[in-house]
Amino acid sequence: MSDNSIEKNMDNFIGLSAVLTGFSTEIIAPGLDVVDIKSEYLPFFTKTVTEESGDANLVNNILQEFASLKNSGLSDQQIGEAMLSLSNGDQFVLACRKLIFMWYSGAWPTIIPATEDKPASTVSNLISAKSYTAGLAWQVMQSHPMGDSNYRYGYWATPPPHSVPTQVKEHNDEKSSEL
Amino acid sequence: MPLAITATPPISLASLQHDFDVFSWQSFVALNWPANADGTPNNQLVIGQSPNAPVVWQSWKESRDIFLPGGARPPAWNQTNPVPDVCKTIDPTIIPPGTIHLTQVGKTPNVLDESGEPFQTGPLIDQNGQYTRYEILTNEAMFNYILDNNLYSKSGQKTFGKDANFPASDSASGRVGAIMLKAAWVRMTGKFNPSRYHTTYALVYNNPEEQNGVKPACSLERVGLVGFHIAHKTKDEPQWIWSTFEHVANAPTKGEPRSLPAYNFFNPACTECKVNEPPPRPWNPAHPYTAPTQVERIIPITNDTKKLNQLYHAALAKAVPGSVWLNYELVSTQWPTNAKSPTDPTGAPAPAFLANTTLETYIQGDVRQTSSSCMACHNNATATNGLFSDFTYLLQRAQ
Repeated sequence: MSDNSIEKNMDNFIGLSAVLTGFSTEIIAPGLDVVDIKSEYLPFFTKTVTEESGDANLVNNILQEFASLKNSGLSDQQIGEAMLSLSNGDQFVLACRKLIFMWYSGAWPTIIPATEDKPASTVSNLISAKSYTAGLAWQVMQSHPMGDSNYRYGYWATPPPHSVPTQVKEHNDEKSSEL
Repeated sequence: MPLAITATPPISLASLQHDFDVFSWQSFVALNWPANADGTPNNQLVIGQSPNAPVVWQSWKESRDIFLPGGARPPAWNQTNPVPDVCKTIDPTIIPPGTIHLTQVGKTPNVLDESGEPFQTGPLIDQNGQYTRYEILTNEAMFNYILDNNLYSKSGQKTFGKDANFPASDSASGRVGAIMLKAAWVRMTGKFNPSRYHTTYALVYNNPEEQNGVKPACSLERVGLVGFHIAHKTKDEPQWIWSTFEHVANAPTKGEPRSLPAYNFFNPACTECKVNEPPPRPWNPAHPYTAPTQVERIIPITNDTKKLNQLYHAALAKAVPGSVWLNYELVSTQWPTNAKSPTDPTGAPAPAFLANTTLETYIQGDVRQTSSSCMACHNNATATNGLFSDFTYLLQRAQ
C-alpha cells in the first residue's frame, strides 16, 4: 500500500469514526495528537475485522463507502444512517457498530455464538494500556477510568467546565446579571 | 527572559516541540547570566564569563526563606533570611575566596537542606558516595504573590480560601509571571573536576526534619550543579512550561552507546549494580559514604533536541571558549498541547513523560500515573487548605 493510500485510508477512518461516534474529527484525531490512538485503532480494526469476517475486502469496502457518501454531499446524520443500514449486509454493519464500541470504550467486543447450553453473549477485551484511558465515554462523562485521572481531587464536587455550550452559558450569565 | 514561545509555521507537534525547546534554552541562558550585586543580569558580561560567580537565579528566594517556622511572614524580596542556627557556628574566616561573590550579591550562601527526591522515592548518591542536595527557588513575581496573599502560612492559606492562581508571563505587556526552579548539586570532591561544573559555595545542612535519625549539622561546601528544572507560567500555558537540564556526564542512556569514560551517577565498571534503585534505608546524608546509585536515563533525548543542544553549545563556545555551560544539556520541555481542554486539566502534555535523572531518578519511564510527568504530577498539587495550588507543591510547606 502506498503512503498516499495509507494516508487516505486514515483520513476516511477518522471521518467515519467521527460520523459514527458523533465526536468532531478534532477530538478523534487532534491536530496536535500526543496520544495518537488512531494509529493504533486503524490497524487493529483492519486486522480484527478481516479475521472475524473472513472477508479481506470488508474494511476497504467500508472506508470506500464512507468516502463515496461523504463526496455525495450528505449530512453527517445521513451518512451515519446510510452506513448502519442493514442493506449493507450483516458483517458491514456489525463492523461499524464495533467501531463505535471501540472508540467509546477502548475495548473490542467479541460475540460468542449461542450453544445448546448457553445463549449468545458478548465479551469485550481492552485493546491496549493506551486504549484503557482513551475511551470517549470518559470524555462524555468528564470522568476517568479506575486508577487513571487527570482531574483534580474532589473535582466531582464542583461544576464541570464547559458543561453547557458557550453561547448558552453567556446568555445565562447575561440573564443572571440582569436579575 | 522569554515570556512566550515563538511558533514557527508550518505548525505540527514536532515544530512546536522545537519551539518550546528553544524557549527552554533561551530561559537557561537568561537565568545563568552573570548577576550584578542586586541579582539583575550584568550586561557588561556574557554568559560563561566570570565562571562560578553567582548567576541571576541564585539570588532568588529558596523555599526555606519563604515558609518559616510558625508561619512567620518572610522578609521582603530584597532582604535576606538568617541561616539555620547550626550553620552560624561556621567560622567566617574559613570561607574560601569564591564566597566573596555571594557576599557581593548581598545574599548569604545558599542553604541546601534537602537530600531526597519527590514522594520519598529516595536519595541520589554520586560516584563519591555523597548525597545529592536540592533546593527549590521562586522568582520575584511568584514570591510576591505568596507574600501578598499570605500564602506563606497555614492560617493565611485558610483565610485565602480559594484556588491559587499565580501571575502568568505576558509578552504583550512585558509582565514576567511566576517562575520556579529546582536545582540539584553534588559536592566538588573526589572524582569530580570542578572546572567542568557551575559551582558555588553553599551551606550544606543536614535537616533533622527530613528523616528519622538525622542530626542537624552544617558545613560549608563547594558544590557543582548537576540538575536544573525551570517551570514558567505563561499566558497561553496555564499548566506552565516545564524545562529540564542536566550535566552532560550525569548518566548514560539505556540502549545507547556510552559516550563518556566516567559519569556523575554511573560506574561503567560495575556490572552487578542494580540500575535506578535507591539505596537501602535508613537514609542519612550525614553518612560519610553510601554506595553510589547506578543511574541510567530511560527515555532518550530526541534527535531534534540533541541537535538544538549542539547549536546552543556552539553559540556558548563562541561567546566564551571553553564555557562551563557547554557541560549542560536540555533533556526536553513539557508543554500543554491543548491548554484549554475541558476534559483534561493537564492540557494533554507533550511529551507525555519527562524526567531528570538527578531529580526524578527512580520514577523514569512511560507508565501513566506512575512515571514522571511534570504536569500530570503537579496538577495534583494542593495547598494546606486542600485547594488547588496552581501546579506547585511549595504551598504545602507552610506552617
